[in-house]
Amino acid sequence: MERKIEARLQNRVGPMVAGPGGILQPLADLIKLLTKEDIEPRDAKKLVFRYAPLIAFAVMVFAMYFLPIDGASVLSTTGFNGDLIVILAFVTIANFLLFLSGWASCNPYGTIGSARVLTQFLGYDIPLTLLALTPAYIAGSLSIFAISSAQVTPYIPFIIMAPWAFVLFVITMQAELEKDPFDIPHADNEVVGGLETEYTGGRLAFLHLTRDVQIVFGAALVVELFLGGPHGPVFFGVPAFWFTLWFVLKLIAVVAITEYITVVFARLRIDQVLSVNWKIMLPAAILSLVLTIAMVTWIYPRVF
Amino acid sequence: MAGTVTWARVKSPWVLHFNSGACNGCDIEIVSLLTPKYDVERFGVKLEPSPRHADVLLVTGAVTKQCTERLKRIYDQMPQPKFVVAIGACACSGGVFSGCYGVEGGVDKVIPVTAYIPGCAPRPEAIIDGVVKLLNALNPPKPNKQPKQAKALETPKEEAKPEAPKSAAPIEPELKVEEEKIDAKQ
Amino acid sequence: MQNNNVDIVKVIESKLKGKVKIELGRLGKAAITTSNGLHRDVFKAMVEADEKTGIVALTGLDLGATLSVLYHTRTSNAFLTVKVEVPKEDPKIQTIVDIIPGAAFHELEVTDLFGVIFAGNENPGHFVLTDNWPMGVYPLRKDVNANAIKLNPSPPEEAAPPENGRLVKIIIGPQHPALLEPEKFAVTVDGETVVKVEPRIGYVHRGIEKAAESRTYLQDIYLVERICGICTTIHACNFCETVEKLLKTEVPQRGKYLRVLALELNRLHSHFLTLGHAGLEIGYETLFQYFWRDREPIMDLIELTSGNRVYPSIMTIGGVRRDLKDTDIPKIKSTMTDLRSKLPFYRQIYANEPSLRARMKNVGVLKREDALKLCVVGPVARASGVDIDVRKDEPYEAYGEIPFNKVIYTDGDTWARMNVRMDEVEESINIIEYVLDHMPTGPFRVKVPRAVPAGEAVNRVEAPRGELFCYIKSNGTALPERVKVRTPTYANIPAFLKTAIGENIADIPPNFVSLDPCFSCTDR
Repeated sequence: MERKIEARLQNRVGPMVAGPGGILQPLADLIKLLTKEDIEPRDAKKLVFRYAPLIAFAVMVFAMYFLPIDGASVLSTTGFNGDLIVILAFVTIANFLLFLSGWASCNPYGTIGSARVLTQFLGYDIPLTLLALTPAYIAGSLSIFAISSAQVTPYIPFIIMAPWAFVLFVITMQAELEKDPFDIPHADNEVVGGLETEYTGGRLAFLHLTRDVQIVFGAALVVELFLGGPHGPVFFGVPAFWFTLWFVLKLIAVVAITEYITVVFARLRIDQVLSVNWKIMLPAAILSLVLTIAMVTWIYPRVF
Repeated sequence: MAGTVTWARVKSPWVLHFNSGACNGCDIEIVSLLTPKYDVERFGVKLEPSPRHADVLLVTGAVTKQCTERLKRIYDQMPQPKFVVAIGACACSGGVFSGCYGVEGGVDKVIPVTAYIPGCAPRPEAIIDGVVKLLNALNPPKPNKQPKQAKALETPKEEAKPEAPKSAAPIEPELKVEEEKIDAKQ
Repeated sequence: MQNNNVDIVKVIESKLKGKVKIELGRLGKAAITTSNGLHRDVFKAMVEADEKTGIVALTGLDLGATLSVLYHTRTSNAFLTVKVEVPKEDPKIQTIVDIIPGAAFHELEVTDLFGVIFAGNENPGHFVLTDNWPMGVYPLRKDVNANAIKLNPSPPEEAAPPENGRLVKIIIGPQHPALLEPEKFAVTVDGETVVKVEPRIGYVHRGIEKAAESRTYLQDIYLVERICGICTTIHACNFCETVEKLLKTEVPQRGKYLRVLALELNRLHSHFLTLGHAGLEIGYETLFQYFWRDREPIMDLIELTSGNRVYPSIMTIGGVRRDLKDTDIPKIKSTMTDLRSKLPFYRQIYANEPSLRARMKNVGVLKREDALKLCVVGPVARASGVDIDVRKDEPYEAYGEIPFNKVIYTDGDTWARMNVRMDEVEESINIIEYVLDHMPTGPFRVKVPRAVPAGEAVNRVEAPRGELFCYIKSNGTALPERVKVRTPTYANIPAFLKTAIGENIADIPPNFVSLDPCFSCTDR
C-alpha cells in the first residue's frame, strides 16, 4: 500500500507483478526473507542479536491487541482504564529492543543507526504522550475503548474538537515511526542499513515486520484517538462487519496522509530532528494540552 | 511449499549494485531503471544498501585489480541463495579495457556469474530483459508458453531451489560464520 | 587586488631573466624550461602577480635517460607550461604544495606512475595504483611492460580502526549506497562532527593512459571516450581537438556547430543527473524521480542524433561522424521548449522548499581563497565566486560565436553549487536553440591522415564538471607516444576534503554530490 502510494506520487506504478496489482508483494518479500540463509557476524552479541527482533515483534503485536477494531464486542473486555499509557510504553519497549538489535550487531553502521533510533524515539516520546493525553482529557478516561466510544454520542470525532492536537500528533507519530522527513535512522545512503545492516534472512524479516506493525499501529492509534475508531454508520447485517470496515477505511486514509508527507519532504539531519523536537514539538504539545483543557472546561459545554 | 518459496523468490528479487571499476555508463542505466520511465519496482526489485539484504548482485565494470578483493568479500557476505548478473561488455569480458594493466577483465574471473547482459552501455530495456530472463529461468513458466530462455545464461547457475530444511529453521546456529564485524562494511 | 591583464610571461621574464628558457607559442602561450629548485621561484612569481594562478595538470614524460615533468598552469588570461627535467637515476624534484596547495594530488600521481619523488610531498603507499602493485615499478615508463607485472599478494586485512577516545574512524567504503562508484574514504568523527577525511582513490584505475600508447589515434577515441560514461562526449571532443592541433587541421563550420550541439546535450543530461542524485542523497527521493523523468527526453534526443543513449560516439578526428537531419530539428526544439517550461518548478523547489534548504544551505562552504588555492574548477569554482569557464576564457569549437553567460554565485555552499548547475541548464538550452537556428551548411568532417606528425599539443575544454585537459605527444607514427588526460573531479576532490571538516557526518553525502564526483574520470 505504502509502496504503491509512494510510487504513484513519484510518477511511477510501484509493485505490479506479485499478485493482482502487486498486492502480494509484502507477502513475497516476507517469504523470501524467511527462506534465506542466516548469517551471524562473529563478534555479535549472540543472545541479543538473535532474539531482540523477535521480542520486538511480539511486543508490537501485543500492543495492537488493545486497539478496538470491531466495536463493542470481545475486545472491549480486554481494555482497561490506563491502557493508553500501557501501549505507548509497549511502543517504547519495542523501539528500545530495535536499538538493542542494532547495537548487538557490532558494526559501526549498526551502532550509529541504533544510536540515532534511540535519540529520536526517546525524544519524541514525550510530546507523543502529551498529545495522546489530549483526547484522553476530552473523553475523561485513559482507556482507548472509552476514548473511541466517547466520539460516538454525539458523533463528533475529536479531530474536530482538537484539530491542533491531530496535526501535531500526526507529525510526532511520523517522527516516532521514523518516516520522512524524520527517517534519519534508516538513511541508507549514510548508514547503509542502519540497525538492520548485519541482519539477514528470518531475523531481517522480523525487523521489517516490527516496523510495518509499528506503522499500522501508529495509524490505528490516530484513528482511535481522533477519528472515532471503528464507529461509523451501520447499514445492514452484523455491526461488527461494518465497524471493521470503517476502521480499515480510516486506517487507509491515515496511511495515505502519512505517506504523502513522507514523499513530499527531504530528510532532516539528526540535529535538525532533535531541534524540531525540543524547540517546536514539546512546547507545541504542552500548549495544545493547555488549550484543550481550556476549551473543554469553558467553551465546549456551551457549544455542544 | 517449494513452489511458494520459489514464487516468493522470483517476485521479490532484491538487488545490490556494485561498481567494480566501471566508467559509470552501465551504472547510470541501472539507476535509470528506478525512474518513472522504466520503473523496475514493478517486478518487486528493490535496491538494497547492504550485501546482507540482497539476493542479486549486479556488477558493472571490468574488475580493477584494486576492487578484486572487495568484490569477493561482498559476494561472500551475501546469504544464499544468491545470483550474480554481469552488466555491460566490461563486466562480461573486460570490454574495451581488456589488456589494460589495471583490470582483471570480466567478473567471472573473480566470482561465479549467473547471467551476462552485454552492451556498452546496455539499454535499460536490455537490462530488464536480462533480469526477466534470469527470473524466468528460476521459475520456468508452463510448457505451453515456451519463452526463448537461456540465451543470456551461460555458466551453470547457483542452485535455484536449495533444500527446504536448510532454510526452515532460522534460529539455528549459523552455517557460515565469517568476516569480522567492522570489515563487514568496508 | 590583482591585475587581470598582467602579461605573465613578461613578469617571469623580468624576474628570472637568464635562468629560464622561454619558448612562446608552445604548449599553450609559452613553454618555460627551468631546473629543479628554480621552478619554485617561477611559481612564486606567478602567484604573486596573479591570484588566479592555478595548476591545471602535471604531465610526466619518459624521455629515455631523463624524466620530464610538465607543470601546466592557468592564470587569468593565459595558459602556459613550466618544464622541469630530472635524471632517471635520481628523480627528485622539490614540491610546490606550499605555494599552490592544489598541486598535491597531481604530484602524487606522477610519483606513482613515473617514480618522480617530490621532496616534501611523499606518500608511503600507492595513490592511484592498486595496493598490491609492487613498489618501485612505474607503469608509465617506457621500459616497463605493465601487463606482465606480478602483483604482490593482497595485504593483510586492516585491523579494526582504533578508537582514539572519542574519535571513531568510519570507512565509507568501496561499496556504499551513497557512492555510485567505488572509492574509500576514511572519515574520522568526533560524535557526529567530522574531524578528518582521508581518501583512497584508485579503485577505478584501469590504466588508460598506458593503453592509449598501444592503439592508433582513431582507436584511442573509443578508449578515451570510456574514461567516463557521463561526460563521454567531451572526453572524445577534447582528444580529437588535441589531435587536430597536431595535424593542424581545421574542422569545418558545420562540424563545429554539430559538436557544440552534442556537447551541450551531454552537459544537459549530466546536470540533470547530478541534480537528481543530490535529491537522493538528502533523502528527497521524489525530487530524484522527477529530475530523472525529465532527463529521459534528453537521452532520447541523444539517441536521435547519434544512435545510442549513453555512448553517442559522435566525435571523430576531423569532425563528427553523423550529420544532423533537418527533420530532427523540430523534435529537438520542442524538447527544449518543454524543458525550459519545467525549470521554474525546480527553481521554486530549490528556492522555497524548507527541508531542502535546511539540508543544503551553509553546508560544505568553500571560500573563494580556498577555491583559488586548491585550483578547483567547474561549477564548484563558479559557486565560490571564481569566474573561470573555458568556453569563455579560451573558446573552442563554435563557442566564440555563440552568446551565453557565465553563471557565478558567491555563497560557496552546496545550495549555490546546485543552483549554478540549474542555471547552466538554462544556458545550455539557449545555446542549443541558437545552434539549431544558425546551423551552417557544408561538410561536417574532413579526412585526416593516419600518421600524425611529431609534436606536442595541449587542449582544454569545459566538461560538465569543470575544466578538462589533454596533452598528447606524437612521435610521427600512427600510435601516440604519450596521452595525458586531467579530469575535473581530480582537481576538485581536495575541495571536498577541506569542506567536510567541521561538518556533521550527515552532511557528507550532499556535500559530496554537490561537487559532482566522477571517479572513473579521476582514476582513469
